[in-house]
Amino acid sequence: MRTRREVARRVFAKEFNSSRYKLGGNAEKEPVYVLTPLGLKCNRIFIIGALIEKEETKPDSEVLRIRIADPTGSFLGFVGKFDPEAKVSLTEIDIPSTVAVTAKARLLERGGRVIPFIRPETINLSDFESRDYWILETAKATMKRIEMMKGDSELARLAREKYNPNLEEYKEMVVSALMRLKEEVEISEEREESIEESIEEEILDLNDLF
Amino acid sequence: MEKIQSIVNEIYEIFKDYNVSKSEIEKRLKLLIFEFKVPEDEAKRTIINGLRRDLNLSREALRFPLTKIADLEPGKGVSVKAKVIQLWEPTSQSIAQWGVIGDETGTARFVIWAKSAKRKVEEGKNYIFERVFVDEFGGIKSIKVTSISEVREIEEDIEVSENWGEIEITGALVSISQNSGLVQVCKICGKVIEAGICKEHGKVEWNEVLRLRGVIDDGERTYDVEMEENCIKELTGLDLRTAKKMAFEHLDRGIVLLELKKKLLGRYLKISGDLKFRTVNVKKAEFFKTKVREEVDKVLEEVKAL
Repeated sequence: MRTRREVARRVFAKEFNSSRYKLGGNAEKEPVYVLTPLGLKCNRIFIIGALIEKEETKPDSEVLRIRIADPTGSFLGFVGKFDPEAKVSLTEIDIPSTVAVTAKARLLERGGRVIPFIRPETINLSDFESRDYWILETAKATMKRIEMMKGDSELARLAREKYNPNLEEYKEMVVSALMRLKEEVEISEEREESIEESIEEEILDLNDLF
Repeated sequence: MEKIQSIVNEIYEIFKDYNVSKSEIEKRLKLLIFEFKVPEDEAKRTIINGLRRDLNLSREALRFPLTKIADLEPGKGVSVKAKVIQLWEPTSQSIAQWGVIGDETGTARFVIWAKSAKRKVEEGKNYIFERVFVDEFGGIKSIKVTSISEVREIEEDIEVSENWGEIEITGALVSISQNSGLVQVCKICGKVIEAGICKEHGKVEWNEVLRLRGVIDDGERTYDVEMEENCIKELTGLDLRTAKKMAFEHLDRGIVLLELKKKLLGRYLKISGDLKFRTVNVKKAEFFKTKVREEVDKVLEEVKAL
């Protein structure tokens, strides 16, 4: 039987970005997984969010740095020549746009710091309706993990040992993501401005990182 | 006599999977009732216990009769001999293992609860699942292995029916394979050919078809999907004729694949079709629409209750 395709997990940026530990990758061909604070073991993720940044990391590096925002934060991503499909689609997409992304989940280790990032395999234009469904779906998946963390499964134990997460904080994250969804459904007119504001914040944030 | 027949049928139902004939039951019953003048219900009990001893079956085995997958009825307790065809990753810690089992009559889901503390089953091996309960969700039958159940590997190699049954899935189309779009397929085997050469059949005659091979992912499982022209047209408006025209105008059939990717990748689809191994042969496909707003309140309440 051929190796099984890794499932594309649904996770909010805030949870993903708090990840610091890897699992797997010990044996040859064993996939590497990112372990999130809520005990999610992910090698691949699926996101629908706002593409709010796309820039060359260095002039002529041919590697693009992107940011995709969801209601809880933003995913940092790198697209290089090894992901030709994603790179070609990116050239045709303006910022800000709603995009659907299938990506590999990775950790960048630099100078004692660990920064989670994604390597998109495919990037496509999406729409608000699909994005809303993604938020709902991801809220449900996160809820399941919060529930799981109260139990005694191997992943729950591991995540508790590594992160000791405050489950209440994640519960609030899910609630506020869902509340955002309610606001947006009602007042989608005012979105444009807030997006622009957040772009500036994100860029400041990034400069701080690199 | 009618009464006799109905008792015979009742007993036959219990033992029908064990090669017991109606005439033999009738013979035993008549002997007890007419010759020995035993009351009917005593006679019935005597025969059932007798057959059970003859066949070396436990009382429990009878309460959970050996049943073929096609005959599973929700709510019943049964025993099933089947091959484990597919194992899925558990989605909850209360589940030890789950997936698909099959026999020569069909396939069903199975769930082994963590609490049942059973030895792990393996894909491709044959088992008897004793004392399990049948239930049904979304038209798909499943058996539940609980702590009163027994799962034993058996020598017999069970042949699995080709018919895996219908399945309905909602998820994101996360990948479209390169051999999708407007492609030339071998007239003999239907596989994509390259430069007029089929890998298996050499230089062959070919058909030009519009098709899609991809992966639908619901965040917990992935399914390989195969879509032919009718479903692609339903979703994108693109049919074989327009695809050929596009390819001709651009002097490149790759343009069709690009168009499919643009219109479908990353989209939530609701599909139904026949499942075989991991692949769904899609019969119906539509873009998934949901009333997010209505569901938000429900989910909010659930989160707050956590």
